[in-house]
Amino acid sequence: MTEPRWTPYAVLVAIALLAALPSMTSSNYVVGIAISGLIFLAAAASLNLVYGYAGQLSFAQLGFWGVGGYCAAIAVVDLGQSFWFGIAFAGVVNLLLSAVIGIVITRTTRHAFVVVTLTFALLAGLIARDWVGVTRGPLGIPGLPPPSLMGFVFDTSARFYYIALAFSLIALAFLYVLKTSRIGLILKAVKQNDPLVESQGIAPGPYKLAAFVIASVITGMAGGIYAFNLKVIDPSFLDFYYMQTFLIIVIIGGAGSFWAVVLAGAAMVVLPEALRFSNELRMVIYGVVLVAVMMFMPRGVSGWLEDRRIAALRKALR
Amino acid sequence: MTAILSVADVSKAFSGVHAVQGTSFEVEAGSITGLIGPNGSGKSTTIDCISGFQTLDAGRVLLGERDITGQRPAEIAKAGMIRTFQNVRVYDSYSLLDNLLVAGEAFRDLNWFDALARTPRYRRVRDAAEDRARGLIDLVGLTRLSDAPATVLSYGQKKLLAFAAAMMAKPRLIVLDEPVAGVNPTRVNEVADILRKANATGISFLIVEHNVEFINSLCHKVIVLEQGRKLTEGTPAQIRNDPRVLEAYLGIARPAAAEAEAS
Ligand SMILES: Nc1ncnc2c1ncn2[C@@H]1O[C@H](COP(=O)(O)OP(=O)(O)OP(=O)(O)O)[C@@H](O)[C@H]1O
Ligand SMILES: [Mg+2]
Repeated sequence: MTEPRWTPYAVLVAIALLAALPSMTSSNYVVGIAISGLIFLAAAASLNLVYGYAGQLSFAQLGFWGVGGYCAAIAVVDLGQSFWFGIAFAGVVNLLLSAVIGIVITRTTRHAFVVVTLTFALLAGLIARDWVGVTRGPLGIPGLPPPSLMGFVFDTSARFYYIALAFSLIALAFLYVLKTSRIGLILKAVKQNDPLVESQGIAPGPYKLAAFVIASVITGMAGGIYAFNLKVIDPSFLDFYYMQTFLIIVIIGGAGSFWAVVLAGAAMVVLPEALRFSNELRMVIYGVVLVAVMMFMPRGVSGWLEDRRIAALRKALR
Repeated sequence: MTAILSVADVSKAFSGVHAVQGTSFEVEAGSITGLIGPNGSGKSTTIDCISGFQTLDAGRVLLGERDITGQRPAEIAKAGMIRTFQNVRVYDSYSLLDNLLVAGEAFRDLNWFDALARTPRYRRVRDAAEDRARGLIDLVGLTRLSDAPATVLSYGQKKLLAFAAAMMAKPRLIVLDEPVAGVNPTRVNEVADILRKANATGISFLIVEHNVEFINSLCHKVIVLEQGRKLTEGTPAQIRNDPRVLEAYLGIARPAAAEAEAS
């Protein structure tokens, strides 16, 4: 689907507003939500690359998120490295890990893919709990220090916010370039019709693998940043809640649509908070909204819009 | 004459069903060759075997001089043979233009750096591919729909799109599985013309089709399959007058139009 002509302006306005957010509010609470939202969005957009573009439902994202978080924490606390080194370390470890896993599983069927990635995510949770020598088990690693850069310490929420914002924007920009390139075109072709892609001289394997690896690197780095936002990492970092959040953003927005997933990410962060006026009903209403969207728009908002467009086109062609 | 495709003693069975049994034939370079036979005689399975979509139980396949037996579909396509599918395949959510861009060989073979960095080379290749794609869409008469998603096309229109996509890759040999099944009868002659023109530029064709007129008007040579075996081969005139061919078809012939309706 082609994007509206005013998209670049909307993006500029959004970036300007996001950049000004900490100066518009003094509430650490609001800034804190914005930080989580930005980091979740980068992770969800990566999941969209694997699931929405390459068509592979990967639960491994949760595992990569956790590996990234632990790698960053261990690099700083145990190896005495900087936060920035820790994030890069998280990216590199995930690159290697996902390449090994990816080479094996991008050749399997879609069902096997789901099972293997799910197993990996569960295994990562188990390791976080039981490999006490490295992860410190259920106690986790507390007291993660604030990042600093050339003497500037990111020790308040408002300061840390800019790390999350910069990371999220870079990750989204990269994914956008990827999506609009020939590689994105072929990835989505693979999802639509694998045999046709092969018959046209394109081996789908490298494309699926690339999507898997790129998504894992971004998710791992996002996890690393998120751990330092929490200032502590323990096995609850691998709670299914995170996977669920990424999945909901992708599914509500519409798998395979870049902007719809970005907007859904924003909505899914704001919605639960906007519903706080009634604390008891909050999660109930949230749930009802989710179920309603899934019932009436099973392919997400973008899928729904596309169906409408196609229906209109069909009518015009009659 | 040299052969662009040589199929030697190819066999394929599916759990007891001998779909193809020791079939041999050649497609001469520069020719249009027909592959016909009753339903279930193994035509599509033969195409799957030579294009790498099925592994062979026995036999050898050469594309020109090159042995492509057992190679992956993508390798065979890159080597210069593009096939289409009987149950038409297109990228439903892509516009016709994007359908052809994916199919194009120049665009496909760009390296990843050019694609991501959007180098001048990338833009040049993309623009050229787009021009070529628009030309092919015009050629098969779908200009009006070039920016519509392929899912709005009728079955026959999708067949035309799939044919254009095969041309887009600039192969040496195009293998078509029922290219005009479901295509509007007024359009069938146009397709035959396009095929002839493409053939004049040096592309060879192997065509499976139930439309007898289409086959007779186009093909230099026709191969007849029956129950996975080659029954005979010859010019369209020879085939038309061969009593064995008539016998093979008797009672089981099914008009192409009815088949399109069914799918
Ligand atoms: N994947 C498969 N599994 C099992 N049997 C198959 C498979 N593909 C084809 N067959 C069988 O092999 C035989 C040949 O089928 P094929 O599709 O090659 O025939 P065809 O000549 O293309 O027929 P049609 O004119 O109907 O397209 C048939 O008996 C068919 O049922
Ligand atoms: Mg067939």
